[in-house]
Amino acid sequence: MKIDPEKCISCLECIDFCPMGCISEGDPTVQIDQEECVECGVCFRVGVCPTDAIYLPEESRQYPRVIRAQFSDPDVEHPGLKQGGRGTEEMKTNDVTGRYRRGEFGMALEFGRPGTGTRLGELEKVMTVLCSMGIPVEEANPVYNLLANPKTGEMKPEARKEKVLSAILEFKIKEDQLEHMVKTLIPVLDQLNTVVSWGLATRFAQDGTLPVRSRLKALGFSVRPNAKINMGLGRPMVEE
Amino acid sequence: MSHALHRYGTQENLKNDYTMYARTSRWVNREGCGPKLRKILEIFLSENINNFGSSHAGKSYKAGLDPKEYAATLDKAYGVACCFSERDAIKRILKKLKEADTGISIVVSGLIDEIVAMGKEVGLKPHTAFLSLGIHGKKSLLPEDKVLEVTTMCGHGQVSTRLTQAVMDKVKSGKMTPGKGADLLAQPCPCGIFNTVRCTELLKDAGKKSR
Repeated sequence: MKIDPEKCISCLECIDFCPMGCISEGDPTVQIDQEECVECGVCFRVGVCPTDAIYLPEESRQYPRVIRAQFSDPDVEHPGLKQGGRGTEEMKTNDVTGRYRRGEFGMALEFGRPGTGTRLGELEKVMTVLCSMGIPVEEANPVYNLLANPKTGEMKPEARKEKVLSAILEFKIKEDQLEHMVKTLIPVLDQLNTVVSWGLATRFAQDGTLPVRSRLKALGFSVRPNAKINMGLGRPMVEE
Repeated sequence: MSHALHRYGTQENLKNDYTMYARTSRWVNREGCGPKLRKILEIFLSENINNFGSSHAGKSYKAGLDPKEYAATLDKAYGVACCFSERDAIKRILKKLKEADTGISIVVSGLIDEIVAMGKEVGLKPHTAFLSLGIHGKKSLLPEDKVLEVTTMCGHGQVSTRLTQAVMDKVKSGKMTPGKGADLLAQPCPCGIFNTVRCTELLKDAGKKSR
């Protein structure tokens, strides 16, 4: 996003709305730091500018810069996927897709969340480790389209420095891989220059419990008391 | 994905924070889903709804989205998102959704044990859970917890730390009411899962703690 200096009256109203904190009072008008802007469009969409000085410049629509909006503005679609957002249907429709079966865990590592943003190159540091363990990156996730080599997790060079609000590394593991995978990834996450919100999708056991919670506790995770739960109302339901 | 996961807070201040999401699958039941999504929206609206919306509509109820206008867009949508602040409302909605039997997947976010209990009370067997294993990496970049409790109610990260801090300061100094502050903070979140009832309580609490 940019601010038209001919229109800006330096009222400063837009500054607080920026999730990346990259709008500041400049000389002679308010400015957006183009290195830090993730093209989320919040400053424009909330309609806070009294003179309509905020706009999306043509260069923000050009590759690779356009990647920023694709991951940061929920209303912008990813090419090829024909949908906005950062990820897939994951467990939201698991009752009708059967994507995560008993004996499997879905994993979602969301880089840059909450609120810090991330350079896409941070994902590569984890993807290469996963790929070396033989764990493939989810092909339906938009991150997959940024890979130069899906077998190694190497990212396209032009994507690495692009900054986004968040991007999700999705993959699936067998239940018995959990402990090894966690112990391998934690030291890698500790070295990142961003934060990661970690999600795990699991089927309820036949008795309605979530046995993985005790395994996660033993691994040192503080599993949050709140979660997303698919209530099993989708039809036709995938049974197994 | 996962936009209603990772809401930050305590057991106590999360207990009246529920989101519901009706989601079609592009591979199974999205084609011709408009009438079913409208039926689900009608059921959501039949209870004391706090907020609703979706990114395809571009704004939430709290940012001026009209329910009828929204319903008309659902032929081209892939889901309906909303939030509530009362447990009993969620229970009644689940009962109505079970009776309506639309076949569209329904996801509820909130305290795990409460949701599982409500499912049992209305005869539903929860299918899959998405658990939050917390925040990892460079946590020194994060703002204080009371800010995260507010900002993480927008799963797309559209509510800024700076705006939250500015609103908290105004509430503390008496320049803004907690309710007005919550409505302002809800503006950037287009999906309608920013819970202004919970936010109002959080802002009141932040004001008390500073005195």
